[in-house]
Amino acid sequence: MGFLDVEDLKVHFPIRGGLLNRKIDAVRAVDGVSFSIEQGKTYGLVGESGSGKTTTGRAVIGLNNITAGKVFFEGNDLTDKKNKMLDVRKDIQMIFQDPYSSLNPKKRVIDIVAEPLRNYERLTKKEERYKVAELLEKVGLSPESILKYPHEFSGGQRQRIGIARAIALKPKLIIADEPVSALDVSVQAQVLNFMKDIQKELNLTYLFISHDLGIVKHMCDEIGIMYKGRYVEEGKTGDIFTNPQHIYTKRLVAAIPDIDPKNREKQKQFREEVQREYEESYESYFNEEGLAYGLKKISDTHAVALPEKG
Amino acid sequence: MDNLQKELDNKINNIEKSPSGVSIIWREIMRDKLALISLVFLLLVTTLVYGVSIFLDLDEIVKIDLFAIHEPPSSDFWLGTDYGGRDVFGQLIIGTRNSLTIGFLVTLMTGLIGVTFGLTAGFFGGHIDNIMMRVLDFFIILPFLMIVIVFVSIVPNYSIISFSLIMTAFLWMGIARLIRSKALQERELDYAQASKTLGTPRWKIMFGQVLPNVSSLIIVTMTLNLAANIGLESGLSFLGFGFPEETPSLGTLLSYARNPQTLENRWWIWMPAAILIFLLMLSVRNVGEALKRATDARQRRG
Repeated sequence: MGFLDVEDLKVHFPIRGGLLNRKIDAVRAVDGVSFSIEQGKTYGLVGESGSGKTTTGRAVIGLNNITAGKVFFEGNDLTDKKNKMLDVRKDIQMIFQDPYSSLNPKKRVIDIVAEPLRNYERLTKKEERYKVAELLEKVGLSPESILKYPHEFSGGQRQRIGIARAIALKPKLIIADEPVSALDVSVQAQVLNFMKDIQKELNLTYLFISHDLGIVKHMCDEIGIMYKGRYVEEGKTGDIFTNPQHIYTKRLVAAIPDIDPKNREKQKQFREEVQREYEESYESYFNEEGLAYGLKKISDTHAVALPEKG
Repeated sequence: MDNLQKELDNKINNIEKSPSGVSIIWREIMRDKLALISLVFLLLVTTLVYGVSIFLDLDEIVKIDLFAIHEPPSSDFWLGTDYGGRDVFGQLIIGTRNSLTIGFLVTLMTGLIGVTFGLTAGFFGGHIDNIMMRVLDFFIILPFLMIVIVFVSIVPNYSIISFSLIMTAFLWMGIARLIRSKALQERELDYAQASKTLGTPRWKIMFGQVLPNVSSLIIVTMTLNLAANIGLESGLSFLGFGFPEETPSLGTLLSYARNPQTLENRWWIWMPAAILIFLLMLSVRNVGEALKRATDARQRRG
């Protein structure tokens, strides 16, 4: 049993309509996803908008109801409703995408960062202040700002407050849902490097959700590519970027911008080639409904969703 | 290490606080002269009315004195007397006190019920919301005025408390709907979701996280409701379904103006009450508007 195992996870949202508001169909946001993460590693979930990557992350932490499948965290089944072990929840935390809405605008920083501490630890007012000041210092903010409101901070600073809140309980797994996509590029690097630093310091495991392959390449050890709620390819970062097998992955990799102007023509050619291939062979990579096939291993670490005929 | 600790201690214990909601509201009112005057007027009237009424003898005021009918203002009767020879000034003070008490009571009770109901429905959503909203719809379709009139005629002990209670039963729906719609919005925001992942229990998220974010709406609505509720009793008394004549009220004083003789020749009976109601409601409204602006950073003047 690994650190985090997700087995055949399905999250369906009902579409209601007709007489008496019956369930007539379902949106299959996540449709049979399996992966596992080792402790201390960063696992990237990549895909376009609506591919189900965020839903997967939210299902793991319990914000979305799981329709079918299992999630094991250190051997504990998180989908078991009776098994309401608070301590397990405590070990999984989340960093939200939008730092402007993830902090309560009516609360001071100390109340925001201390919220998890108040739920799980009994601290005196003074201890709490120290702890919060310490956390803020760790994320590179001045401890003097504990009595400010979130709107007095910039986007990057707010995201750091969000991170301080997430690491307050010393969790083992952090689900980072596009943690930098709302920030401008110069701040993105800052926050990402900082996330890497605290990962080393606290031996954190990240489930890193992003649509930006450049960032994922920088951050992740392993990557899963999602499309329409299913996996199309999974493997080590090297596997995905040097040896993409699925046409969808190839397209994503081709879309990474290259800043060297000398390669511009080459890059353009390559992109057009991939686009042509994508249009020609789209049908052989996806089934009649336009969904990906099941994953097949092509090496120990690399699996691709290819049709039966190969 | 000790030094460092001390330094940190000094740092985090001597931090200037950012302006809180209360100081923003205060600044807004100070900036708006009209609201400031209104607030001063309101506080003045309230303290005066509640203060003076302690020294007034209700029995003395409502005692009928046939030798002093319709007397114009004099040193004995500052605002003259009505058709029963009763002192209008005393009635005005006690009437205003009653109107204000009813206004505050009804506003507080409707606010309490409405906010709890709306917040619960909006925060939990789904089936709970559905059921609660149907209950609310039921209350909305009840013929309010008719039931109040029936109630007035059957209840034996018609007091300020019972009047406020019956009014509350029919007036909490507006604020409940308003709060519910806002709570529905707020619970989807990331900060409420974040609280869930941090292990905060649901009722704590509801009251500790979502409630502060709808508080501005609550304050504004309740202030504006207060203006309406102060006039509530007057309206019903004017129609003849308010308090009996042993309980002086602004509405009763006003309703004397239905007599053309009184309307034309005895202004002292109805005019002060009319002006007082007008000024009270206007002032509460002015303060309410200032509060409303204070809650919206774009409209703020201060």
